[in-house]
Amino acid sequence: MGLLVVSISDMKFSRRREDVIVTYSLGSCIGVTAYDPGTRMGGLVHCLLPTAFNSRHRAEDKPFMFVNTGVARMVRALVEHGADRDRLIFKAAGGANMRGDSLFNTGLRNHEALCKLMEVNRVSLSGEDVGGTIPRTMFLHLDTGRVVVRSLGKEKEL
Amino acid sequence: MTRREAILSKVAEVVAIPSFAPKAAVLLNDPDSDLVQLARIIEYDPGLTANLLKIVNASFFSGRNPLLTARDAIDRLGSAQMLRFVVSTGVAPTFVCKVEGYDLAPNMHLQHSVTVALAARELGAVLGLDAPDHVFTAGLLSGVGKILLGAYVEVDVRPILDLVDRGMAFDRAEDEVLGVNHAEVGALLLEKWKLPQPLVNVVRHHLRPEEAPEPDLVLDLVHIGNVLAKMIGVGLGLDGLNYEPSREAAQRLKLTPEILDEVSANVVVDLRAVWDLFLECAGEASPL
Repeated sequence: MGLLVVSISDMKFSRRREDVIVTYSLGSCIGVTAYDPGTRMGGLVHCLLPTAFNSRHRAEDKPFMFVNTGVARMVRALVEHGADRDRLIFKAAGGANMRGDSLFNTGLRNHEALCKLMEVNRVSLSGEDVGGTIPRTMFLHLDTGRVVVRSLGKEKEL
Repeated sequence: MTRREAILSKVAEVVAIPSFAPKAAVLLNDPDSDLVQLARIIEYDPGLTANLLKIVNASFFSGRNPLLTARDAIDRLGSAQMLRFVVSTGVAPTFVCKVEGYDLAPNMHLQHSVTVALAARELGAVLGLDAPDHVFTAGLLSGVGKILLGAYVEVDVRPILDLVDRGMAFDRAEDEVLGVNHAEVGALLLEKWKLPQPLVNVVRHHLRPEEAPEPDLVLDLVHIGNVLAKMIGVGLGLDGLNYEPSREAAQRLKLTPEILDEVSANVVVDLRAVWDLFLECAGEASPL
């Protein structure tokens, strides 16, 4: 098994069935997977923030830092390498918030940006584990497209 | 003896906070290591920074102007030989494999502490504030109480998490179960070590700045730096994001979500520059 690790503001994809793509450290960040069951190709992006704040330069420099540019770039990379856009299955995890936070809501804003992006592109999430106050680790298994979220020692499949 | 008294008596016996940087031991034993190498590793390690400030303030430069940062202490010692002598003889570093109870690998706690320090400093810069230099050190040391409770008390975290599940913030649940929270534990030790009061105050109140006797810019920056580090997600333990951001601190700093977003983005970029230090710590790397 090859373990491909996705850092914050990063994306990785693969079509090797033995690979597993993982991202740790999902706090308020949101992790999004896209998987094509036909080619068994999939990717995982780890976005820090919803959109580039008045900075086109930063979005160009670090596209995976932001939900609106990061997810789009991941889809483009998958399609360029042979995935079928219409077959892609999307899942998401993360988007936690500080307890009692009514000030910043970064996790909530990340999730809202993702939902808006999905709506505009007329696709939907097939599974998600978002919100709350817990850290999460997200795995995408390329052989089956299985997405597993681990948090506080417990695992669940999306 | 109450649980609180038992914990505090155990913490009072602590003579040195463990380090998370095995590389420090290698450098300290290497007569050819230079000051820059040694200084960098000490500046980013909470245990070594606290131990160094303790010894230097007590033995070398006691007086009206105690040293507040590892950088100042290192500059005053002046040479690698002197630094090696002070650290090796006064605070021979010990290393922990895991912060028990909080389920933190050493590299995770190190990453989190450094992220708090970077975020606090970066927040001051983005806001255009002329923040004192010790904002980085205060941020780095803010979580030392967790190391102490994990390494020396081996807290059973389950009853704390039960209260968190019922809606209580983690530090308030610590108060309820242990009679003390990790911020207070850290402050009590640093106070006993006679570290400068501006550092002790930040450590004590960094989770609830509104309870400080008076407003303090460094405290506000470290409080929000800690919030940002948790939202970014670097080095999170079982306590997760279960802390309450202070409305008062946010208002004093005039924060907006846009400002926090900018700081978060800058911090993630800054972390790349210290990634090599994280890789040198612990057997496994917990990637950013």
